Amino acid sequence: MGALVRRARALLSMHTWVRGLCLLALAPAIAFAQAAPQTPPSQPASGVSRAWFVAGGAFATLRGDCQECEEDFPYRHSGAVLVDAGYRVNSRMDVGAEVFWMPIDTSQGTIRTTHLDAVAQFRPWASHGFFLKGGAGMAFVRNWVDVLGPDSFNEKGLSVIIGGGWVVRPTSRLGLQFFATQHAFALGDLQASQGLINDVIGNRWSVGAAVVIR
Amino acid sequence: MLGSMLWGVSLCAAQSTQEAPVPDTTGPPTMLADQLPLFAAASVAQTPGQPSWIVERRACEGCPPRSVGRALFQTTVVNVAYGLANLVRGQVTAKVTPKTWWANMEQGWVWDLDDFTVNQIGHPYQGNNYFNTGRANGLSFYESAAVTAFGSSTWEYFGETNHASLNDFINTTLGGIALGEMFHRTAWLVRDTHATGRGRLWSEIGAMALDPITGANRFIRGDASRVTDKPADMVPSNLAASVAAGVLWRGTQGNDFTADAQAFVEVDAVYGDPDRGHSRTPYDAFAMKLRFGGGSGLSEARVRGRLLGQPLGDGGVQFSVVQSYDFQKNDAYATGSQSFEGAFGFTQNLSSTTRFLMLGWAGLTVLGAIDSLPIGLTEVPEEEQTGDAGQGVSEGPRFYDYGPGSDFGATAIFSRNNRPFATIFYEGRHLFSLDGVRANHFLQRGRVDLLLPLRGAFGVGVTGEYFDRRTFYQDAAATRVNYHYPQVRVYFTWGLS
Repeated sequence: MGALVRRARALLSMHTWVRGLCLLALAPAIAFAQAAPQTPPSQPASGVSRAWFVAGGAFATLRGDCQECEEDFPYRHSGAVLVDAGYRVNSRMDVGAEVFWMPIDTSQGTIRTTHLDAVAQFRPWASHGFFLKGGAGMAFVRNWVDVLGPDSFNEKGLSVIIGGGWVVRPTSRLGLQFFATQHAFALGDLQASQGLINDVIGNRWSVGAAVVIR
Repeated sequence: MLGSMLWGVSLCAAQSTQEAPVPDTTGPPTMLADQLPLFAAASVAQTPGQPSWIVERRACEGCPPRSVGRALFQTTVVNVAYGLANLVRGQVTAKVTPKTWWANMEQGWVWDLDDFTVNQIGHPYQGNNYFNTGRANGLSFYESAAVTAFGSSTWEYFGETNHASLNDFINTTLGGIALGEMFHRTAWLVRDTHATGRGRLWSEIGAMALDPITGANRFIRGDASRVTDKPADMVPSNLAASVAAGVLWRGTQGNDFTADAQAFVEVDAVYGDPDRGHSRTPYDAFAMKLRFGGGSGLSEARVRGRLLGQPLGDGGVQFSVVQSYDFQKNDAYATGSQSFEGAFGFTQNLSSTTRFLMLGWAGLTVLGAIDSLPIGLTEVPEEEQTGDAGQGVSEGPRFYDYGPGSDFGATAIFSRNNRPFATIFYEGRHLFSLDGVRANHFLQRGRVDLLLPLRGAFGVGVTGEYFDRRTFYQDAAATRVNYHYPQVRVYFTWGLS
């Protein structure tokens, strides 16, 4: 019993940290609000590539839910990988596409969730590494299992991502970013053996790091 | 003029157009965002004799001083103001505490049950305030778009006790961007920055009514009385607007046409030259339509903003990327959407005085809304609120669906002496319902406008419109239902330029 309680506390602590970090990233502190010196040139020098590339990994917590369900759905944890490729609009803004993939092992098999989103990443202060990120696209879910019954689902739906983080760039083009993001994926209604499950939405909170080339 | 057809705005908007300078179709893109750091860099290296506005971190003499921090702070102030207003109104959803913040973060995004007008007009308007905290503090369009997303997400998590709403976040952010830039530019049209005295004061007050955030900032900073030129990118290359007043008859599912005519007043405007020019300045060309009356207090609101424009080949074909905001609500149906389209336009002179314009577009609907009719119903039932949950808490059921989809369309316009006399318009939209009834919706709208010029800026017009809606329920019987709503409008128009 004691071990169970300790494990529960550890998980709770993990949730707290993951969500706390997400909160920190999503709510840029007013501490950053003082105007920063503006220095970087807006346009890259002639001949310099405007490609933007990000690849990295994350630790993520995923929870599915449905609007009218009374059940307490579990938080599931796993690693994830992400890749962004796109275009540097100017010194503050990058736009492109992101693939975010997260497999989760459960007793009923491996849930695989993939997000394909159009994303924009914006640095409010060019002299600081802080950035905000947002986007939308499609989510693909394979072997989605829930606590309502034995069914599994393969679905696709609307994906939305918000997030933020900090990037450090030891060289002009190569950097490392630390980020916290929240994904939402809306799958609609799922037809299960016990009936229709209405308005299923999954939420995922993730923290991670990635290499940046821009 | 092409813009009005191309963008789905009625042809009456295009009847009075001032001569505009031909945009530079070969020059480099002018993006304010790209120029700002140069001005900022110049301020760091300021030398004696340089104008004071550079020191003040302004991109031009009439531009607002740039401050990202102030924009984010004012966005938070906007959130606090909306929260206090809700609190004063007695809404229990405004009684936020750290506990409710934490509960919202634990839950994540959900769909909400609010009224159609609140979600499709109220939230975009609130988003317009966030957007203009960015514009009022010297941020570019795209930077202000990020500020809008920041304001929207923080409101959803921390501004209400309700769980964070995914549909609100999308509508506030995308709708806020569209309405925000439209209001911001329209307010700059009203502002007379060369005037002084009472005339100047009233022009600033008028502009503030359209864009309160920028207006308040200008009064606080003292810009409202400074005599300067307007920012160059706030002066459109062309401008046309019209007001139409008349009556309409709309059919419903059970009745081809209602017996009573409904009065309406419509405002159409085309800003810039949406059908030509090389552009990377968002919303340097846009079209907007507002219709009051005709089945609802505000029955239609549309904004089409060009994000980029590119002539193709020898300039005969114009490619544009467009952001669209749509809202329609009347006594027969309600739809709304946030979408992005790619559009191709083509112009042909048929004679020395007659011109033919053609436009086709296709794109993605990020989130669309359509009133939903569960199988067996032909009209939206009246909602019954028990009131148990407290004021401001929507208990549902909610009789409209949300979902992403796609859209496409085409329009053709014939004009004589730069005054359109016939427009043909078609638009199709598919929505895959993710929240609401389990169904796919296919919406089609066709319209023909005929306009007869009278004396001067006055004219008389007639419009025939047909809205067809097919719902494909995903039930065991794969039920299909078809609804159609014909409409006829007769009106007088008055062109403004």
